Amino acid sequence: MKIKGAQKILIAGAVLFFTAVPNERAQQNGVQHASDFTSVEYFEPPHATQMKSRLSGLEAQPLANGLLVIKQLKLETFTVDGKPEMVVEAPSCTYDTSKAMASSPGPLQVWTGDGKFHVEGEGFLWRQTNSFLTISNNVHSVIENAPENKIEP
Amino acid sequence: MKFFCFIVFFALANVWALRAQTNAPAEPHLTQIDSDSVDFDMNTNARTATYIGHVRVDDPQMKLTCAWLLANLPQDGGHISHIVAETNVVIDFTDDKGQTNHATSDKAVYNYNVQGAVTNETVTLTGNAKTENAQAILTGEPIIWNRVNGSLTATNEHTIFRQNLDSATTKTNSTTTSTNKLSAPK
Repeated sequence: MKIKGAQKILIAGAVLFFTAVPNERAQQNGVQHASDFTSVEYFEPPHATQMKSRLSGLEAQPLANGLLVIKQLKLETFTVDGKPEMVVEAPSCTYDTSKAMASSPGPLQVWTGDGKFHVEGEGFLWRQTNSFLTISNNVHSVIENAPENKIEP
Repeated sequence: MKFFCFIVFFALANVWALRAQTNAPAEPHLTQIDSDSVDFDMNTNARTATYIGHVRVDDPQMKLTCAWLLANLPQDGGHISHIVAETNVVIDFTDDKGQTNHATSDKAVYNYNVQGAVTNETVTLTGNAKTENAQAILTGEPIIWNRVNGSLTATNEHTIFRQNLDSATTKTNSTTTSTNKLSAPK
């Protein structure tokens, strides 16, 4: 079960908006409006050709006070050798750029890249500074346990 | 700690031992955990998931309910090594003979580790710990369930064996039936 990549999930989402290549733009407090966008982040050299994360969304709308509303968020993270690490989906969330927190009263789904762990629920808060994710309602997790092998030769 | 071998309850934990003995290829199984809320702490080296409120664990080998459950998340897809369940812990599982077993306690701690070629896997029940099945009721403080060999050990144990009238009746009826069959004209 790999959850490590979740550290970057929603945070990366908002951060990457600053470097996204949107189809339409509107400037507000340095944060741009974007629609139907995809943003890719790469690893540092010597793995600069390897994709680190890919963020996509239907819309990112900047609000006042450093808030950013993201619709149909999908974030995929990858390991340095290109394997999928984590997939996060949320129909909507709000990212507070000043507090580095993402939240939503709506649903959230997280999968590990190997498909062995899945969690979903309604209402979440992601605190980037301490890498803490809270899902506040109706939590459902599914863990695929590897077969145990206790057979002694 | 006073060692207590409780044969009747050995069967309770033999699901895992039996599975280990089979030569059939093991298949992965799914464990579902539901709760009101969950906190994932990814900041520390020991990454944890804390499930809070109406926690329900549904596993092919058992069902567990409690109010609070903390699991240390394994590194690199490994085996979960440490789980703590607290408050109104109830564990139900069926042994290899299809017998239902029921355990309750205030707290249950699961530990798993492999040292060399030796696998250690235990569940420690504390706080009004009790396990029971159709044959007997065991209380102790703590009750330690060794999932590797299926043994139960308890300190300050107290055991109540149930009087199994159903079995005696069944045997009598079976004998009678058998006798009747033998004597009945065809």
